[in-house]
Amino acid sequence: MKCTFCEHELTPEMLREKGCGGCLGGCRKIHCPYCGQENPIVPELLEKFLKDDKHKA
Amino acid sequence: MQSQTQTEKKIILVGNPNVGKSVVFNTMTGSYTTVSNYPGTSVEVSRGQCEIAGEHYQVLDTPGMYSLLPITEEERVARRILLEESPHVVVHVIDARNLERMLPMTLQLIEAGLPVVLLINIMDEAERVGMHVDIALLQEKLQIPVVGGAMGRAKRGLWELRDAIRDFEVSKATFNYATDLEKDIHGISELMQGDYTLNRRSLTLMLLQRDEEIAERVKDREGDRYERVEKAVNDTIFDRRVDLHLRISLERKRICNGLLGGVITQKDGNQQTFADHVSNWTMNPWTGVPLLLIVLYLGLYQFVGGFGAGTIVDFLEGAVFEEFLNPWVIGLCETYIPWYWLNELLVGEYGLFTLGVRYAVAIILPIVGTFFVAFAVIEDSGYFPRLAMLVDRVFKKIGLNGRAVIPMVLGFGCDTMATVVTRTLESTRERIIATLLLALAIPCSAQMGVILGLLSGVPGALMAWMVSMVGVFLLVGFLAAQIVPGERPMFYMEIPPMRLPQIQNVMIKTLTRMQWYFMEIFPLFMIASVLLVAGKLSGALEWLVGMFNPVMRLLGLPNEASAAFIFGFFRRDFGAAGLYDLQTEGLLDPVQLTVAAVTLTLFVPCVAQFLVMQKERGWKTSLTIFFLVTGLAFAVGWALNKFLLMTGFLV
Ligand SMILES: [Zn+2]
Ligand SMILES: [Zn+2]
Repeated sequence: MKCTFCEHELTPEMLREKGCGGCLGGCRKIHCPYCGQENPIVPELLEKFLKDDKHKA
Repeated sequence: MQSQTQTEKKIILVGNPNVGKSVVFNTMTGSYTTVSNYPGTSVEVSRGQCEIAGEHYQVLDTPGMYSLLPITEEERVARRILLEESPHVVVHVIDARNLERMLPMTLQLIEAGLPVVLLINIMDEAERVGMHVDIALLQEKLQIPVVGGAMGRAKRGLWELRDAIRDFEVSKATFNYATDLEKDIHGISELMQGDYTLNRRSLTLMLLQRDEEIAERVKDREGDRYERVEKAVNDTIFDRRVDLHLRISLERKRICNGLLGGVITQKDGNQQTFADHVSNWTMNPWTGVPLLLIVLYLGLYQFVGGFGAGTIVDFLEGAVFEEFLNPWVIGLCETYIPWYWLNELLVGEYGLFTLGVRYAVAIILPIVGTFFVAFAVIEDSGYFPRLAMLVDRVFKKIGLNGRAVIPMVLGFGCDTMATVVTRTLESTRERIIATLLLALAIPCSAQMGVILGLLSGVPGALMAWMVSMVGVFLLVGFLAAQIVPGERPMFYMEIPPMRLPQIQNVMIKTLTRMQWYFMEIFPLFMIASVLLVAGKLSGALEWLVGMFNPVMRLLGLPNEASAAFIFGFFRRDFGAAGLYDLQTEGLLDPVQLTVAAVTLTLFVPCVAQFLVMQKERGWKTSLTIFFLVTGLAFAVGWALNKFLLMTGFLV
């Protein structure tokens, strides 16, 4: 995915550990190391659903 | 020349992600490839073989990198490959459509003394939008082989690339920075005598930008001499007292602009130029501010305020909860639950269901949902970085620091997160000013949504609120900037292209944000409910409300408003939702509503933000900010009330 602010490429694996520490119940965001933007992590279910949709199309 | 027992020469592919590097790799190597983790890391690197003019080469595909100065694990590995694998040729793959953004890294690679071949990929797409790249001219200017290609389907440029690799000769081109910088670089690189893969000039540049890995390497190779190098580097950084990182990248930009002069020509493709026009309009203060107001009006006022906080909330709150769900649940509880306290806890004035669930589902969720839709549309269009540039210019005029723009813009999403982001600011001073302004005058998305919804129904109220917020923000910022003097480093940000938002992107972002938002607020609302009920039953709440009453009277507000302020400390949106309740019960006139909204927006940040503030800035600063913000909020509320009553505006 791309950072929604500065458009640098982000991968969840490399950034997931860098939570902001401010969120209750764990961080559900990817914090961009380039600009600090908080990018929402797409829930697996939603991602799966969208992928299936694409295959059908 | 060639020995029989030659070791395989290496071709290393580098470049940003999404420039077609892997396609180039596959086209060059065919099927003889292996993928394995790079030693000591979890990052995957592909290797393959190819033969050019009878000679064997090993081809390496590196993870995407944006710069020789790594931030991520991927980039670190990519750089380590360049440092350790002694390449015969480094092929820098870039996207023709983004030449300007990617060429600075080509420059970095060349100045590091690496044997660079530049492959300008995706030429077909660039040509389709009317762009022409003069490859020969660029090659002449860069003094390295430059190949244009489109490796996707046609494998265009493959043979030229192979030829360039076959005939490769290392060039000695250098690109000079500003004289003062050059002097510094020269002075430091003179001190280094070790043997390096990269040249000393580029090592110096990285040392000046505080690259620790490079510092370790240099320390290793220089031994006793390192002390002098380190001292020279530190002295230079100290003497310059500017952001060298920024300075160097700006110099590179300058050189690249010079290099690209005459290289790119754009045929009149109308669509392309229109997007460019829009992009320029958004960043020019004269057109940018009106555009910003239009965006705010349509996106926030009409969509979030009118549709979200009006139509949807009216339906959920009025029809679903008040008329249908609440009576039913309350009836159920009263029939089956004999204990007063449990009834209170579940369906009382501050009950889990009647307050917690209702606030979260019927008031906050629709507002936040519509806000997130608007936010995602604006975000996906690429507007925000432009806004940052625009606001930066306006900021500078009143003596504020431009770099603080990013956390400020992000603050409209969530102040807590934005407070963390102030870390990226250069000096402690900037961080403190930014943290203060965030805590004081930047409403988070949920709060803004509720307030917009509330105020948009009352003519003039929204205007008064906006003027107050902007006024306080500018005044406090201006004063803080005067009290805390310091340098104002230049603000620079890469601007990605502007484009039409895509429905799917908007949908994904909105749903995802709504999910995490809900997961975060719901438990909090429940906890707040429990605390409030406990407070009510024990009498503590009454006491607390009693404490607030004189303050409310000073602000000209009814006693009932105390509760909203107490809620407000749990979460900003919670307080705003409390205000919403008061308004629907008809307890507030327009002046009171406006005063309450302004005071509540300025009032203390929520618990989460306070905790983060404490973590980032320490007790002393965060408590000072806390008291300052509280004092200011009530002072402004008081003054506003007097002013509105005196002028008769809104009455
Ligand atoms: Zn970013
Ligand atoms: Zn977080």
